[in-house]
Amino acid sequence: MNKLVKTSILTASFLYIGASGASAADDVYANFPITLKDYDGSSKTSESYGGQMARHMLHNGLKKAASSGDLAKMEMYFNGAESVAILDPKSSDKFPVKQTKVEELSKGKTLIKKTYKGRVIGWPGNMTGAEVIQFMMKKASAAPKGVDLITGYNYPQLISKFTMGAVFYNQACTNYLGDKKLSSASKPNDAPYKKGAKYTGKEHVWDEAFGYWGAAAHTLTLSPKQSYEVAKKKNLTAADYNKDGVVDAGTEMTYAHAYYASGFDKGGKTNYLETVTRAFLTGRETITSAKGQKLGWNGRNGGKGIIKQAAIICSNWEKVIAEAVFKYAGSVYKDLENMKENMDDAKMFGKYVKHWGELKGFALALEAGKADRSAIANKLTGLMGYGPWLPNMSQVVDVSANGNYVKDESSSLQSYQMHMLKIQKLMVDEFGIKARNNDMLGSMGDLAAKLGGSGYAEND
Amino acid sequence: MLELIPDFLQDFFEEFANPQKRIFVGYLLSAFVVALVWLCIAERDSAKAAIKKIFDKNVWLSTSSLADFKIILVNRVIMSGTAAALVTQITISTFLYKLLHGQALIEPLALHFISAGSVAVIFTVFFFVFDDFSRFYVHRLMHRVPVLWAFHQVHHSAETMTPFTIFRTHPIEGFIFTLRTSVVQGIVISVFLFLFGSKVDLITVYGASVGVVIFHSLGSNLRHSHIKIRYPRTIELFFISPGQHQIHHSTEKRHFDKNFGVALAVWDLIFGSLSYSEDRTHKFGLTTKFGEKHNLLHLYIEPFKAAVRIIKQTKVTRGPQGWF
Repeated sequence: MNKLVKTSILTASFLYIGASGASAADDVYANFPITLKDYDGSSKTSESYGGQMARHMLHNGLKKAASSGDLAKMEMYFNGAESVAILDPKSSDKFPVKQTKVEELSKGKTLIKKTYKGRVIGWPGNMTGAEVIQFMMKKASAAPKGVDLITGYNYPQLISKFTMGAVFYNQACTNYLGDKKLSSASKPNDAPYKKGAKYTGKEHVWDEAFGYWGAAAHTLTLSPKQSYEVAKKKNLTAADYNKDGVVDAGTEMTYAHAYYASGFDKGGKTNYLETVTRAFLTGRETITSAKGQKLGWNGRNGGKGIIKQAAIICSNWEKVIAEAVFKYAGSVYKDLENMKENMDDAKMFGKYVKHWGELKGFALALEAGKADRSAIANKLTGLMGYGPWLPNMSQVVDVSANGNYVKDESSSLQSYQMHMLKIQKLMVDEFGIKARNNDMLGSMGDLAAKLGGSGYAEND
Repeated sequence: MLELIPDFLQDFFEEFANPQKRIFVGYLLSAFVVALVWLCIAERDSAKAAIKKIFDKNVWLSTSSLADFKIILVNRVIMSGTAAALVTQITISTFLYKLLHGQALIEPLALHFISAGSVAVIFTVFFFVFDDFSRFYVHRLMHRVPVLWAFHQVHHSAETMTPFTIFRTHPIEGFIFTLRTSVVQGIVISVFLFLFGSKVDLITVYGASVGVVIFHSLGSNLRHSHIKIRYPRTIELFFISPGQHQIHHSTEKRHFDKNFGVALAVWDLIFGSLSYSEDRTHKFGLTTKFGEKHNLLHLYIEPFKAAVRIIKQTKVTRGPQGWF
């Protein structure tokens, strides 16, 4: 009897360990089988999103190039070129990276061709997304380290944060997860994405959107803190999933909005990174389970269907951007508070314009999503303006025909601070965000909880 | 209805572990210690006699006290089902917060230059004082507005008092108290966040306001008891002693409408209703006709009947000015 119990426990333990291992493997966005019927190539797996990861490298490089003020370099990363070096993540002894050139991930990729085509409300000059970035690049080249202290524009931040929205978020949610690409007629699942491809139309559409999200393939095996550390290149163990001693920039790194999601989630109030990544995985499994046939009603509209998963992905992705707007509105508020002590403190002013650049960049990014956010964009522009509040009580209000900024008198510092609070409130009201980093409104809920309710019918 | 039972009982027992609540076990224990010390020192009782007096079965197991316990259970069921429908402090504070931003007289964050520590002290003190005043004023109205008295008399029908007599409250009165809390907290939260922003915080001890903890730790539960703790007159001008609140429950005519205050006596002083405690035993209860004072059904139904009678009366004996 005793032996039987021991045997049972051992068997159960092995089964449990085996099951755990299987479930960990299931949580990785990798090793999806080839389902395409007529494929005769040698590949064993169908997922492919190297082009998107190459664009993450181009974006990271563009940000670095903007800090150098070198226009040619910025154009190289924005327009694409041959033999472009990866500037970030750069390999080091503590964090060795497998690739050194963008083309090792995918050749011939650009950012400019994939940038938001609509007119940007929050930036002066009635420009398209690509025009805004090109305009910013040109201005960055004329400012020391890309920061113009006369107008208060920190171009590396503006370019980076807007590009993430105008390229990654825009491409994923308006193109690949948009109504057209998810329809039965477009990129069907019973035909290759393009001639000779190893993946079906729907498989690749889905993979491309996943690539833009910026999460490592094994994100669901990591905590938000670990994903955050991976993005910061501070946790090789967490990054190197296949244990080959180097980090694959295409599959083992955290970038862009996935990185911001990890930053918010590690605070414990939100679960954006897991929610979005899991929805990507669920959608991909649904597509794979169709085994190279067209997706049926359930595969498209069911609980695990691609339309439902796409809605989860894009609404949470938008919340991540809204959280960033909220966070940096709080940072700007605090910076202005600190600046009151000494308006001539250059270091403090530099910090302020950096945060303002991040705020504006993310605010512009909100315009590039699937839903029409023009009303919110107009409100945000009204509150933060086209440029930051400046200590000489001026602010950029327009761009002239020859591309020069036009400045005018600004409101008071206190009034501008108030606008930051209104921005925070707008993000809460419109997007229902929960992480609320740098909450300057104070939480009514927290205060009410501290004061305590009246309880039940108590007399005095 | 049956599925409510575990929840409301759980809620009630959780209050014994919650320092925000008056029946928190720590406050009950401190009330016991205060009563013991008072009886041994001021009334020169032996410890044994003092304990016997504190837990006097003629008080704790009287018909009146047993009715208190039954009311606790019935009110829990009633309030569980209806409290959610009441307006919350968050709703009120959000509404007022928006309203404040719409006016031009005071700039938002006008006092944001004050340090966070000072703001916390100001907020904690202001909330304690404002909350105490609102309790005083609502209590005063419960006595002076006839329709409200129709419901408040349920509390005054207690002929023996224990710390649990605070729950001897008609549900209509309970709703009024809940609304008072929501309005007071809604006002304080919105105004302070508007003026001070995120610096607003409450100074707490074990998760409860420091003012509440001090007040309850000093034996506030004894105000509903037969232990006649009195303060020197100078202190009773500012703080209500248990003895002063017992006068509020006295059946003597000269004690009627006295000592409405909860923690601070200054409100009674200002409104002319202050009465010092007395070194004598009081009889608690009602002198008016109320019928079967401890019959549960009667306690719940009679106030409605009385309220209807009052509303039907064409002659208003006291106008609004007299009530307030």
